[in-house]
Amino acid sequence: MSLLARMAWRNLWRNPQRSLLSLAAIAFGVTLLVFSVGLQIGGYEQMIGNTVRLLTGLAQVQRPGYLDAPRLRLDIPAARDLRARLEAGLRELAPGVVVAPRAQSFVLLSSERRSLGALLVGVDPRAEARLSSLPGTVHRGRYLRTGEEVVLGAALARNLGLAPGDEVTVLGSARDGSVVATVLTVVGVFESGARELDRSLAQMPLATFQDLFAMPDRVHALVLGEAPLDALPELVRRTRALLPPDPPLAVLTWEHIEPGVKQAIEMDFASGWLMYLILVLVITFSILNTFLMAVLERRREFGVLLALGFRHGRLLRLVLWEAALLTALGVLLGMALGAALVAYFAVHGITFEGMEVYAEQFNLPPYLTPKLTPFVLFSGPAVVLAVTLLAALYPASRVRAVDPAETTREVG
Amino acid sequence: MDALVTLRAVTKTYRQGEVDVPALRGVDLDIAAGEFVCLSGPSGSGKTTLLNLIGGLDTPSGGHIQVAGRDLARLSPGERAELRLRHIGFVFQAYNLIPVLSAQENVELVMELQGVGAAERHARARAILAEVGLAGLEGRRPAALSGGQQQRVAVARAIVSAPDLVLADEPTANLDSENGRRLLEIMRRLNGERGVTFVISTHDPEVMAFARRLIRLHDGRIQADERRDGPP
Amino acid sequence: MGRAGLLLRLAWRNLWRNARRTVILLLAVTLGVAAMVFAAAFSRGMVVAMVDDAIDHLPGHVQIHAPGYRDDPAAEHRFPYPQGRLRAVLDGPLVAAWAARVRVPVVVASEYDTAGVTLLGVEPRREAALAYLGRASVDGRPLADANDAGLLIGRRLAERLDTVRGRRVVITAQGADGALADRGFRVVGLFRSPWSSEEKGIALTGLATAQRLLRLPGEVNEVAVRAADPERLEALVAALRAAAPELEVADWRTLSPLTHAGQQLYSQFTWVWYLVVFLGMAFGLVNTLLMAVLERTREFGLFLALGMRPRWILGQVWFEALLVLVLGLAAGNGLALALARALGEVDVSAFAAGAELAGLAQRIPLIIHGGDLALANGLVLALGLAAALYPAWRAARLAPVRALRRN
Repeated sequence: MSLLARMAWRNLWRNPQRSLLSLAAIAFGVTLLVFSVGLQIGGYEQMIGNTVRLLTGLAQVQRPGYLDAPRLRLDIPAARDLRARLEAGLRELAPGVVVAPRAQSFVLLSSERRSLGALLVGVDPRAEARLSSLPGTVHRGRYLRTGEEVVLGAALARNLGLAPGDEVTVLGSARDGSVVATVLTVVGVFESGARELDRSLAQMPLATFQDLFAMPDRVHALVLGEAPLDALPELVRRTRALLPPDPPLAVLTWEHIEPGVKQAIEMDFASGWLMYLILVLVITFSILNTFLMAVLERRREFGVLLALGFRHGRLLRLVLWEAALLTALGVLLGMALGAALVAYFAVHGITFEGMEVYAEQFNLPPYLTPKLTPFVLFSGPAVVLAVTLLAALYPASRVRAVDPAETTREVG
Repeated sequence: MDALVTLRAVTKTYRQGEVDVPALRGVDLDIAAGEFVCLSGPSGSGKTTLLNLIGGLDTPSGGHIQVAGRDLARLSPGERAELRLRHIGFVFQAYNLIPVLSAQENVELVMELQGVGAAERHARARAILAEVGLAGLEGRRPAALSGGQQQRVAVARAIVSAPDLVLADEPTANLDSENGRRLLEIMRRLNGERGVTFVISTHDPEVMAFARRLIRLHDGRIQADERRDGPP
Repeated sequence: MGRAGLLLRLAWRNLWRNARRTVILLLAVTLGVAAMVFAAAFSRGMVVAMVDDAIDHLPGHVQIHAPGYRDDPAAEHRFPYPQGRLRAVLDGPLVAAWAARVRVPVVVASEYDTAGVTLLGVEPRREAALAYLGRASVDGRPLADANDAGLLIGRRLAERLDTVRGRRVVITAQGADGALADRGFRVVGLFRSPWSSEEKGIALTGLATAQRLLRLPGEVNEVAVRAADPERLEALVAALRAAAPELEVADWRTLSPLTHAGQQLYSQFTWVWYLVVFLGMAFGLVNTLLMAVLERTREFGLFLALGMRPRWILGQVWFEALLVLVLGLAAGNGLALALARALGEVDVSAFAAGAELAGLAQRIPLIIHGGDLALANGLVLALGLAAALYPAWRAARLAPVRALRRN
């Protein structure tokens, strides 16, 4: 440690109470920032993870325009080959990758009691079981296997008055314009927690769907899942490279498919940082006086140092050292406390009043678990450190106003 | 003659770090109303300690102190403050004045604490400032007054509410001899005309020359206690 | 006055002995208070806009349904068009506007595609006074009256069905008798809505037309009510329940749980924010006061020697805190109010889809609410004075001799 740093360190403890209060202020701010950012990031990851896992997947291959106007004819031909090609081509990047084919149409479902519109999706049950959390939410009956079966959302089943074992009539139109009218057996009822899905979604085996809707080997989407979230850009790039030129196909990420989730995250992130910045400024003004007094109170002492041959620049460095040591201590303490809080709540979860309803809306569990990432641990502290040291420049600049003659002046 | 101040076997020991430092080692003293007493002795002989104990700013390690008939040991800090407010005036060596108050306001301060009405306060403060020769400087803040002027404001403040006792701790130490003499003359006059009791600590021979009773302290004990007639 | 006046005067002057330090402290307090008041205005605006939106986009403050409808919104859960006692309450002083609707899920098919939507049979005149869709800008013609046989659909639904104004679509629905009914409708207009769920999922036709389609003569599924005084919903709900005991009456808190949850979340958030910001500035307050006290140690000794009681010394320091807080509050409130007035509202339309998912409006008005203002100010003042007790107590606790011996 240089002499200057040693002097700075000892000077800090000449007024331990004041230094400790400032240190506590910084530590408080940093703790709060680490915890809040951890809560945000953890919440976002849960939100994205659950959204992606529920049904959407990380990305989907679709015909361009299908997302906005999901028409039966906007489909992908030769789906089996393409699926195999994608699985083979992406396995190197993500060994566990799943490519789930889906075809879907809006239909009228009828029971004896009631007729309701629903989105009927043809799926590969085995692929869905790996990619989507929906099969796991079947709480009555079982998930799909093969043949003339269907699973219904809980609210849909309730409104139709149907239970596993009952039959449901499907009325719709096939790809060739002919009428689809058939009877499927309800084998299961799922309760995903997402209201919209539970009210209007039905799934059936893809092969049967393709037969019924006259679209052999055609699907509307190939859903990619079970790859790490941070591999998404590479996943998209490689997928694009594997697509045949005709007909044109688009690779849409979950952000395109669920823009609400993405934008809600962005909005929350932006407003969060605005608030953090304000808080950091309040705290900075709170401790600025400590830095300032460290200069103003010690004009005589600085005068002595100047008289001893210290240069102004050296004094300035001394004062900055003091501010930096104090801030660094506070930041380190805050990081430790913040990380501890995050670690605690990552295990125990945290919840608020009214949270449940929101959680459902955003595909979240009713409690949030913060997450510790390098960004969480370092972004807030970095802001605090930067703003605080910037603020310390002002009092430090007052050092220049000290002249050696002050030593000889009378006190008072 | 009734004693205004009575000390019996008063001792005071300060703790400095690990060491006990005796400041007073058994002092018996009676001061009657109207006296003009000088405490002298070298630095560390216990002068300031004695004044602080009489003023109730500090508590003795042993013995009893009575001021204006009251046993200080039995008073709470608040009651001691009240005793000082009503009966005792202080003049210190330096830094006597509240820097944010003007000369006039410094003098009025004690009366304001006592609850004296504004009009009376103003009048009395102006009169006493004039009496100590500061007419025209009432509105100045301490920083704008010379050392001698500051000390005169302090004396004016100490006596304005007609206390029974004024304790002055080396009041002339920071003044030149001219200003020192002026201050002493004012104190003597007030002693004479108003009957205010003064206890002044000093090691300035000029001050001692003004005293009618001269008490010498040495190593925390009273070494000599002489009464003299008439000031010069 | 008297002593308090003296202490206040001393406090005021002491404040400006080190003006730079006081100004820095004031900056912290001002910024903190402004952040509190502004956040409260934003949060209040968010909730108000959310509630307004939720109420404007169909539900109204209160809705009346037949039992079972809310769980299973089908045509068979219906009740007669309001009359008698219910009609009297609806036309009474508690209600600003009301509308009766047929409201059922249907399947709509163009020659190209099929979609599931909610069909609303409405009385256009009544809807206009009640809900956003009654006033939405329409490309084409709006509905004329309850007998209008035309169909209004959302812009995005038209895109989805690949249909345009003037074309025909077929609506299939289950009537009140349980039988499927279908009927061709001409699309007479496309409406726009800031809520994409409405543009995608709603079709409107005349009430009488819908009643004929669904075989609901003289009957409706829903009555939506806008209250004359939104603060007194309980009275309205009670009156409606008394007038129609056989029906279900629910206010928007029940009907739009997201909105209600949002209200709860934001009020908690505001409290947490208050406390956090307060703590941030409390450190500065305590530390600066403590500095001021410690450098005036000798002066406090002098005050004690002059006969000032310890608790007056405490009062003097406390008054300093009070002055800083009052000045900071005044400046902070002023700053926040000026900012809120200058901005008027915050536009979050850049995050439109996110806002919609969160049930937020796209333009959030900044609303300064007396209660919020009182709460923020009261909190800062009360907690600030409590925090200042420590330095004040330190000053009062000084031993006079020690204090005097320092220089």
